Amino acid sequence: MSEGQTMRRSTPAVRTHGVSKRFGRQVALTDLRLSVDAGTVCGFLGPNGAGKTTAIKLLAGLYRPTAGVVEVLGHDVAHARDTVQGLIGYLPGDFTGYADQSGRRFLRLVADLRGGVDWAFVAELAERLELDLDRRIGTLSRGNRQKVGIVQALMNQAPLLLLDEPTSGLDPLMQREFHRLLREARDRGQTVLLSSHVLSEVAAVADDVAILREGRLLDFRSMADLRTGLSRRIDMTFDATVPTTRILQVPGVRDLQVVGGTAQVDIAGPAAALLRAVVDHGLRDVQTHETDLADVFLGYYTKGATHADDLSQGSVGPTPDAACVG
Amino acid sequence: MLTICRKALWDQRRTLPAWASAITLSIVLESAMWPSLKAMASLDSYLAEFPDVLKDVFSIDRMSTGTGFLNAELFSLMLPLLFVVFGITRGARTVAGEEEAGTLDLLLVTPLSTTRFLFGEALALTVGVVVLGVAAAAGTLAGSALFDLGVSPGSALAGATACTLLGIVHGMIALAAGAVLGRRGPAIGVATAAALAAYVLYVGGMFVDDLAGARVLSPFHQALHAGPLAEVFPASLLVPALASVGLVLLASPVWARRDIGAHR
Repeated sequence: MSEGQTMRRSTPAVRTHGVSKRFGRQVALTDLRLSVDAGTVCGFLGPNGAGKTTAIKLLAGLYRPTAGVVEVLGHDVAHARDTVQGLIGYLPGDFTGYADQSGRRFLRLVADLRGGVDWAFVAELAERLELDLDRRIGTLSRGNRQKVGIVQALMNQAPLLLLDEPTSGLDPLMQREFHRLLREARDRGQTVLLSSHVLSEVAAVADDVAILREGRLLDFRSMADLRTGLSRRIDMTFDATVPTTRILQVPGVRDLQVVGGTAQVDIAGPAAALLRAVVDHGLRDVQTHETDLADVFLGYYTKGATHADDLSQGSVGPTPDAACVG
Repeated sequence: MLTICRKALWDQRRTLPAWASAITLSIVLESAMWPSLKAMASLDSYLAEFPDVLKDVFSIDRMSTGTGFLNAELFSLMLPLLFVVFGITRGARTVAGEEEAGTLDLLLVTPLSTTRFLFGEALALTVGVVVLGVAAAAGTLAGSALFDLGVSPGSALAGATACTLLGIVHGMIALAAGAVLGRRGPAIGVATAAALAAYVLYVGGMFVDDLAGARVLSPFHQALHAGPLAEVFPASLLVPALASVGLVLLASPVWARRDIGAHR
């Protein structure tokens, strides 16, 4: 991750400097250097055990770093933990709540601790998530219990939302509604940091993505960069000889293979220059093969790549190892 | 802090009335035995035959009065034990129990400081044990009035206070251990071991000369030696009270620097 990538906007909502966390001999995070801009949605993506929850708990002030500095909204969490915790809406990865309390009583408790809440907004959240606040949490299904957790995390419209596996247990319709809520939070200027091992969730809402594996940050970049930086395979069929020299002169082209009258090209970036270069050389047909974003992320998990560009790009991308995806 | 205290008391909305009722009822029922015991012509000679150690531990030699009877039957062991058990179980459940249940994170990631959270839980524990103390005092006064035991209000209050302080100090050991260790089982273990050691020191000091000087260190001695249904409040009651405050203050900085939920 380059400094330019991480410091491209205003004062970051979250910044970590060389943060490591150990539990005895077990290393949970190593040298985490991260900067999340205010007013963005950042996704922590990684397989189980990647360090996502540890990173979120460090940001929430629940863990103390073994080394390094964690800054949230300009405050050093180690020295201003109570201040920081007052600025966070937090959803733990294993939200349970109190089984013997109704959702409303539980939310009232959290609201009291946070110094009050706009109950009209709570009612709106509950309605949009189709949550009955008068039922005891212990009687709720896994998904409905998770909704209580989501409401308590969002209801104060805190400047920073730390959400650990927030859609776990939600059905697809509710996931979509939840994503809308996150976008609205971002549009209000809130910063959202959510962890997930589900790419589609991160891809749906995140502006930036931090990819972790085995306690290390493999990459941090915007989703837009990731998408435009992907190379695609383009198959071009010619009536006559394949103009290999012309093709190789086009910026972004790599890995040209010629099979009969067809040139198979991997290209990063726009394909317009390539097409312009060969259109007068008997170009008969063009087929493009988008590299699935999922393959890129799965490649991080399984191939030991440390950067998106290091991944080999094929029509189907690197083969995922399901056991490592979690 | 008060929000946490209210929440902790709400958690006890069923158990606390049950405990309080049981304590009141047991004292009243025990008091009901006094009229028949008092009518025994040979009571004094019967009591005189008990070994000296038992006389000391259970104040048996004073059992020929209503106050002495309740001291021997309830206030020397059974009631203190109930208060200690209640204190330890509640103390371990407040912080370590919340942490093991995974609910502590939600209470802490708020503007409430960890220190104020701990004080709120300690306050709730204190209120809970005091409620039991009030139940014990009420039971004593009711039993005395119903069955003519002749226990003065001051004595009833002193006895209830002694039991209350024993419950609080052991509850605070469990709460502090839970705050430092983050697990309910070890917190109960530490507090139970402390209670057993204190009781052994208290009783052992009565018949082992080498331990006699160390008895003052035992919360049981500090709370019970004067009666506990005593005419006056002994100054030694201040020791468990101050120790309770000290335990929370000592645990607070360790608790504030600890990783929360890392053991789960």
